Amino acid sequence: MYQRDYRNIAGGALLLLTGILIAWYASATLDFGTVRRMGPGMFPMSIGVILAVFGIALMIPAFFRAGDFEAIEWRAAIAVLAGVGAFALAIRPLGLVPAIILLLVVSSLAERRFRPVSLLVMCVTLPLAAYLIFRVGLGLPLAMARWPF
Amino acid sequence: MEIFGNLAGNVALGFDTALSASNLFYCFIGVLLGTVIGVIPGIGALAAISMLFPITFHLDPTSALIMLAGIWYGSTYGGSTAAILLNIPGTPSTAVTSLDGYPMSRQGRGGVALLMTTIASFIGGSIGILLMMLFAPVIATYALSFGSAEYFALMLLGLVAASTIADGSAIKGLAMVVLGIAFGTVGMDLYTGSQRFTFGMLQLSDGISLVALAMGLFGIAEIIASIRHVHAGHVDRKSVSLRSMKPTRDDMRRSVMPMARGASIGSFFGTLPGTGPSVAAFMAYAMEKRVARDKSRFGKGAIEGIMAPESANNAADQTSFIPTMTLGIPGSPTMALMLGALIIHGITPGPQLMTTQPSLFWGLVMSFWIGNVLLVLLNVPLIGLWVRLLLIPYHLLYPAVLMFICIGVFTVNNNAFDVWLVAFFGALGYLMRLLGFQPAPLLLGFVLGPLMEEHFRRAMLISRGDLMTFIDRPISGTVMAMTGLLLVWSAVGAYRGWQARRGERAAQRMAASARE
Repeated sequence: MYQRDYRNIAGGALLLLTGILIAWYASATLDFGTVRRMGPGMFPMSIGVILAVFGIALMIPAFFRAGDFEAIEWRAAIAVLAGVGAFALAIRPLGLVPAIILLLVVSSLAERRFRPVSLLVMCVTLPLAAYLIFRVGLGLPLAMARWPF
Repeated sequence: MEIFGNLAGNVALGFDTALSASNLFYCFIGVLLGTVIGVIPGIGALAAISMLFPITFHLDPTSALIMLAGIWYGSTYGGSTAAILLNIPGTPSTAVTSLDGYPMSRQGRGGVALLMTTIASFIGGSIGILLMMLFAPVIATYALSFGSAEYFALMLLGLVAASTIADGSAIKGLAMVVLGIAFGTVGMDLYTGSQRFTFGMLQLSDGISLVALAMGLFGIAEIIASIRHVHAGHVDRKSVSLRSMKPTRDDMRRSVMPMARGASIGSFFGTLPGTGPSVAAFMAYAMEKRVARDKSRFGKGAIEGIMAPESANNAADQTSFIPTMTLGIPGSPTMALMLGALIIHGITPGPQLMTTQPSLFWGLVMSFWIGNVLLVLLNVPLIGLWVRLLLIPYHLLYPAVLMFICIGVFTVNNNAFDVWLVAFFGALGYLMRLLGFQPAPLLLGFVLGPLMEEHFRRAMLISRGDLMTFIDRPISGTVMAMTGLLLVWSAVGAYRGWQARRGERAAQRMAASARE
């Protein structure tokens, strides 16, 4: 437990910041129009203002009460997100099978324990399953492997 | 009445569509996948639907909806298995079932609990379907006279209800709705064609992909949070043999009324915007506890405590299709995905749907019956198989889920940008989880936001900029008043909670100073 409810202070602050950014961007780049004939900017502008107000409403009471903050799973978050990113990078130039293997290898780092055998088994079975489901079953035109060099 | 006269013809048309070989097949696949996903802890129904959503793009719209709907109500059936045997609710709507279901399996009556909840699910679902068949056409007839003001008011009510009734703080829920609406504004403005929030990126001019948003928020975020916390369980195999499933005469006698009450509560809450199966199950459980002669039996394996919520959540699953299909207003995030599926297939849900696409609507409704029968057939003999699924370790499960998410989202538009969006929304979803924000209202806001803006601007155009149009028109005015009441009610609730906490702290201080 902390003296203040940092979870809601952080949440409220982020909402406030996002709201201000949305409202500022809408007012800087988009036309407001009139109430009768609204331009593209009026609706996003109001959304930004409302969001900022909610942020303040969430933040203020949080300063006056205790709260907790759950531990962040840095390792899992980074490994999983990097795995998805690796897939996104590889799918176009290298094709499906290398992209899947990259995804599996990178995201397996999410766990403290490294399991070489089960990783190897998955690197064989999952691309095969993907081939059977997406290429054979659904008939999608997916390139299995490409050589960019 | 004309509507009821047409019913026979519609039912025939529906069965005709639903019983075609391909639709039967996709219905079976849907309920099978739904059950599997419902059983496996750590993947919710929403993650499941968003994961399998892209596959359905390659089907015709009727088959796609039949399959998605099968996943949805199938996961509710499957969720009760994990809830009863392991005390892990596979889906939130079955959380209540574990209160009495798990004690039953500890007493060696897990088989009875599984069989009886399957029956309760079937009966609850059937009553929900019957109500949908009778009332959806009536509501659609009324809805034909709705204008933009009414639609805007109804969607506002839906969003406010979804964020204030659902668990957690109302401010946080409302904030997530607004954030979802903000994400919905990305892309080209419908009226003027100007680019909004695209930051010069061509890929964003069609807006953010619903699939990428849903998969990131529900799939990726869930995986990150579960990797170190979900472990495979231990199940006593003997308690789920076919012989152990035979209920006693007393079980049967105690179950009839809770099933009926659960189905009525579930049907009612299913149609209300923003509530859905979880709220229905909680309400049904609370109701049983209230009417029971011996309240102390609850929580220790009372069969009423599993029959009522299971009947209620399946009834709600079915009736929640009513507002989605007749008004085009989804009451829950799952329905928002269904609506998204329809829109992607080029079909606008609304009161005209039943007249312009009768085979889609009635085919879908009739497939519910078929799916529910299939679920009973799947669940009772195959319980042993589902139990084995519960034992798959998570470190083999999550890489497969990640792979399906990535391939699924990539194949929608053959676009690697959408995979990056999944990573973005996965990070956002995990951040939201850490800060205690619910992702469901965000998804609802994202789907309803653009529709709301369109109706708001059209209403302003028609009323010449007079905001009173939302209050002057009787239906819209009533709905707006309901929305206002809901906001006041949740504000009062929040104030009371704050006062109670303050009182507690004061009492603690008093006690502490008294000790000294």
